[in-house]
Amino acid sequence: MLAQVDTDFQEQITNTFEDLSNGVFSSEPESLQNWRKEAFSAFMDLGFPTIKNEDWKYTNVKPYLKSNFTIIPNLQEIQNGIPAKTENFFGKELSAYTVYVVNGKINFEKSNVPDTNSVRIQEISESYATDGFLSRLKCKRDYSINPFLALNNALFTQGIYIEVEKNFQLDKPIHLVHLSDLDQEYFQLAKNVVIARQGSHFELIESVENTGHNNFFRNASTEILVEPNATFNHYKLQKGSENIRMVEHTEVEQQADSQYNNYTFTFPGYQFVRNNLNLALTGSNIESHMYGLYLTGGKQLVDNHTLVDHQQPHCESNQLYKGIMMDKSRAVFNGKVYVHPIAQITNAFQQNNNILFSDNASVYSKPQLEIFADDVKCSHGSTIGQLDPEALFYLRARGISESEGRSLLVNAFAFDVAEKIENPEIRELLENEISKTMTGVEY
Amino acid sequence: MKSENEIIDDFTAREYEFGFVTDIEMDVLPPGLNEEVIHFLSAKKEEPQWLLDWRLKSYEAFKRQKMPKWQNFEAPDVDFQDISYYAAPKDKPKYESLDEVDPELLETFEKLGIPLNEQKALAGVAVDAVFDSVSIGTTYKDELRKLGIIFCSMSEAVKEHPELVKKYLGTVVPPNDNIYASLNSAVFSDGSFVYIPEGVRCPMELSTYFRINSQNTGQFERTLIVAEKGSYVSYLEGCTAPRRDENQLHAAVVELIAMEDAEIKYSTVQNWFPGDNEGKGGIYNFVTKRGICKGNNSKISWTQVETGSSITWKYPSVILKGDNSSGEFYSVAVTKNHQIADTGTKMNHIGKNTKSRIISKGISAGKSQNSYRGLVQIGNRAQNARNFTQCDSLLIGNKCGAHTFPYIESKNKSAMLEHEATTSKIGEDQIFYLNQRGIDPEQAVALIVNGYAKEVLNQLPMEFAVEARKLLSLTLEGSVG
Repeated sequence: MLAQVDTDFQEQITNTFEDLSNGVFSSEPESLQNWRKEAFSAFMDLGFPTIKNEDWKYTNVKPYLKSNFTIIPNLQEIQNGIPAKTENFFGKELSAYTVYVVNGKINFEKSNVPDTNSVRIQEISESYATDGFLSRLKCKRDYSINPFLALNNALFTQGIYIEVEKNFQLDKPIHLVHLSDLDQEYFQLAKNVVIARQGSHFELIESVENTGHNNFFRNASTEILVEPNATFNHYKLQKGSENIRMVEHTEVEQQADSQYNNYTFTFPGYQFVRNNLNLALTGSNIESHMYGLYLTGGKQLVDNHTLVDHQQPHCESNQLYKGIMMDKSRAVFNGKVYVHPIAQITNAFQQNNNILFSDNASVYSKPQLEIFADDVKCSHGSTIGQLDPEALFYLRARGISESEGRSLLVNAFAFDVAEKIENPEIRELLENEISKTMTGVEY
Repeated sequence: MKSENEIIDDFTAREYEFGFVTDIEMDVLPPGLNEEVIHFLSAKKEEPQWLLDWRLKSYEAFKRQKMPKWQNFEAPDVDFQDISYYAAPKDKPKYESLDEVDPELLETFEKLGIPLNEQKALAGVAVDAVFDSVSIGTTYKDELRKLGIIFCSMSEAVKEHPELVKKYLGTVVPPNDNIYASLNSAVFSDGSFVYIPEGVRCPMELSTYFRINSQNTGQFERTLIVAEKGSYVSYLEGCTAPRRDENQLHAAVVELIAMEDAEIKYSTVQNWFPGDNEGKGGIYNFVTKRGICKGNNSKISWTQVETGSSITWKYPSVILKGDNSSGEFYSVAVTKNHQIADTGTKMNHIGKNTKSRIISKGISAGKSQNSYRGLVQIGNRAQNARNFTQCDSLLIGNKCGAHTFPYIESKNKSAMLEHEATTSKIGEDQIFYLNQRGIDPEQAVALIVNGYAKEVLNQLPMEFAVEARKLLSLTLEGSVG
């Protein structure tokens, strides 16, 4: 029995797994089949997470699962045309290789795929035989911290596979635009795999939008491998329709001398977002940066969970998450740094700053350190506060209106994150969005 | 000069210095826990019916509860049926002065470095020494009585001031709070009761030495301190225990109640038997400590120096209910060998303009695990609430662990919360600097650690601060990281 959801949805999950196991899954590589079986039995044991699960203590998913969801929609209904309203997805003005993924399938016709053999962008279902995909199956996953991942691994049928060849540097970022416009209440299970081969250098942007009128639950996971000396910048732009609920799981394996930067920006819109970002630092001299900005409004619930696993010496990780909570929104931050006994000379930093803008908003911050090595520099900081009334007074005394002043101060607060963005267009987009969101906000 | 490894070995191999057993006949109840035991306990203490009912209710709550799983260590399997719930020195002596007390008992205290007689004269400390479960001697009682202060054992308080005990017992830590609090509520043997009347400033530090002696006897102390409007009290608690092979459970409950403008300062130095080098034996210290700032402008301050016990598991907390009230928590936790500490605090801001301050210093060596776990909660009516938290960890050697689990929750936009934590080792440059000036590595480490913990040690009352500094240097000298 699964807690949290009604029996119809439960039956659908079990039936879908049986149907697929006898159907498409049976032609898949054996290692993938076993992986799915293991994940499925783990999910059946765990069920959807409840607030008794320490990693979901502040995030009750029950109300977000309450819908008449369909896991595998009628395939005929999946159209490859881009819905009319997609012109409005967040981040469309960015200059990038835009790849449209409509209802889980790439629309090559409308997309602008890099014209080179060094970058491979294809459906995940066509990539099961690749080295990159198979290498991901060897990684052990702890499903107890995120049962959604178990469900995802068991049942995914769609997703994107990206591989960038050795030493290749891409001139523009790849922008994955995940769109959905189904007439049904859709529970999407998508798996993306990104392989950054040795010495490669590229950027990936992801946007998600639902143009349908129905509730849409996206349970997506991304498996990333960053090989030695590769640099991979990963941007997540999270703003869109209010009927979107999302659990995004990102699992990164970094090898020696590599760099992985994750930027996650969440704005008012999506009803519920849970980001899980797990980094495994498996070599030496690795650098990892995680930057997050969450500006929440309405009744939104935004939850960011990070886990940095320092397995080898001489690595550096850095987390900076900043949040502004408005209206009746809630935000959760949970950062975890784990330093293994052999991971000496580790530098790990973690910072989380929050501003509450409304008496009905709340924030839950839990920065954790688990350290088993002595020659380390690890620190974390967390603050919750408000805009400095004196700073606001200073601005008002100089003829700046209250709302403009607040917008300026919030931009200054977010600057620490914004200044880290390497891509100037994204930085501009972010700054404009902050100003736009903050204008006219009651304090 | 010793090499680094030698020094570390030296330190980690240091034996517990206070391991000895006093040979006094005990009146011990056979092991086991059931309603009859509670009836027996209650009858033995000549308790009123309401207290017996309360104990039985707590026992019901205890039976319903399960062992928690969230802690950062493997909880030991405590067999509650294997514990004896009552032990008292036979024929409790009733002395007017300490001179008449059994000399062997006094010698025990002497070995522990607690010269009762000397303290009486020197420091002006009124000592209510608890030897196992029954208090032996209470000093300075008369002087306190003149001011209207009640400072006595819990059993005495139940007899002489039942209305006060009935009014406040279990109001801060309800009997169903957690499994160990339920157990304590059901079977608590004795403890201290302090009542400070309105407007009285207690002229001396009140102090109790807890000591576990009888084998297989869990000690279930119950402490209740009530400070009426505008009063002030400083209470000290210190612990050492004789060496034992079997694990002993200590599940105490401490409740503090501060009314309007009152202030309570509670200090602990804990140095119980931590188990041998293999981690065998040692005390389980599972204590529920909680205070409530009931009235406006009240203040509660916890200070603790934890060096002993095989497992220390406690979170002295403050409920900040009154407006403008403030809570403080200062802690030094030292673990070595196989010791485990999972400690921290909870600050629950309910009233307006409430303030809290948390300073936690963890030092782990050997194969020990040291965790800070803290909760700061700001309710939506706690306007202008303010919290500052700092928790630092020091690692000595690469087989130990230091962990931080802060929970920070805010529901009020005018609240300000800050939390910072660092983890590091003793800097080689610091040691080098001191070496250069002719200070050997052992002393250098003691100096650095004492400096590191200074912020907390400074909070201790004079008499305790000296003892705590000695304890820190003693346990940590020679541990060059």
